[in-house]
Amino acid sequence: MPGWVEVILKSLTLIVVLFTLTKLLGTKQLSQMNVFEYISGVVLGGVVAIHTFDPEANIFYAILAMFIWFVVPFGVEKISLKSKAFRNFAEGKSTVFIQDGKIMEDNLKKEGYSTDDLLEKLRDKDVFLASDVEFAVLEPNGTLNVLPKRENRPLTAKDLGIKLAPQKEPQTVIMDGEVMYESLANLNLDLTWLETELEKLNVSIENVFLGQADTDGQLYVDLFDDSIAVPSPTEKPLLLATMKKAQADLELFALSTENQQSKELYQRNSKKMQDAINKIEAYLS
Amino acid sequence: MTVGSQVKGCYASIKNIEASLQTLANKAQETESQQAFKEVQQIVNEVKADLGKQIIYLSREEPQYK
Repeated sequence: MPGWVEVILKSLTLIVVLFTLTKLLGTKQLSQMNVFEYISGVVLGGVVAIHTFDPEANIFYAILAMFIWFVVPFGVEKISLKSKAFRNFAEGKSTVFIQDGKIMEDNLKKEGYSTDDLLEKLRDKDVFLASDVEFAVLEPNGTLNVLPKRENRPLTAKDLGIKLAPQKEPQTVIMDGEVMYESLANLNLDLTWLETELEKLNVSIENVFLGQADTDGQLYVDLFDDSIAVPSPTEKPLLLATMKKAQADLELFALSTENQQSKELYQRNSKKMQDAINKIEAYLS
Repeated sequence: MTVGSQVKGCYASIKNIEASLQTLANKAQETESQQAFKEVQQIVNEVKADLGKQIIYLSREEPQYK
């Protein structure tokens, strides 16, 4: 067998073996690799590299070596799933860098982090003042996670006491002009609904590049033809506006009538409408 | 416009609101939103009933505009 045929055959075999082993080792993202996965990745690559072009090398040795380098990390991973102590050893433990707003100098030194390194990591998390941090921890994979002090955290709806309507993920119902029946069914909607909505927007289904519907059944579309302007859904804002107008009208009637009984009726209903608006406003925006 | 026709216009808007709330309640996926829409629809329904009575009363008061 000429040397070059051998190289081709070996390469193909080793590609298949390497691919299978890597798949079996797990689909953790590269950035989340622990020490063992990192080492075995490097070695597996090296073994393959050496054996592909060296005609002297025995391919069975290559496969044997790869097998060993696969079995050990694989075993480590399986055992560390079961045992916390073993996990601490194999994958490392997280180190607290800042606690109660105070920097732990000993821990910094232990992990080999200089003050500059710490500040850089903090800036990575948009923290420029170390005293803004309540708690910071270095994860085994090398990222620093930061919990800012209460007053430095981003403002949320909960902090402001605002009630928000629950929202689930929107579904993509049209892709490249094709209807996605499964996502439509997920929203309990059907083709008739889609056709009606598209008719309201005055566009044909073939012209829709992307169409998404939210949980309240409002359709948002992007067209192939970018020169056509598509109106955004108006149903909810329109409803809110109509409610506000009706409420204002009732108030006006109450003010303009002389009849005491009618006045009372208008006032009572205007109040009810206001209640209704307050209750539904979060869901309509 | 007479008061009667103004109130009738408002009555029409309220009917429209009730219908829109009904559609939204039917389309909503979350039980929480669904309930909110239904609850508000109930309130609007009460307003509608009251206003309906008022229209009848007004049409008796202003028979010349009928």
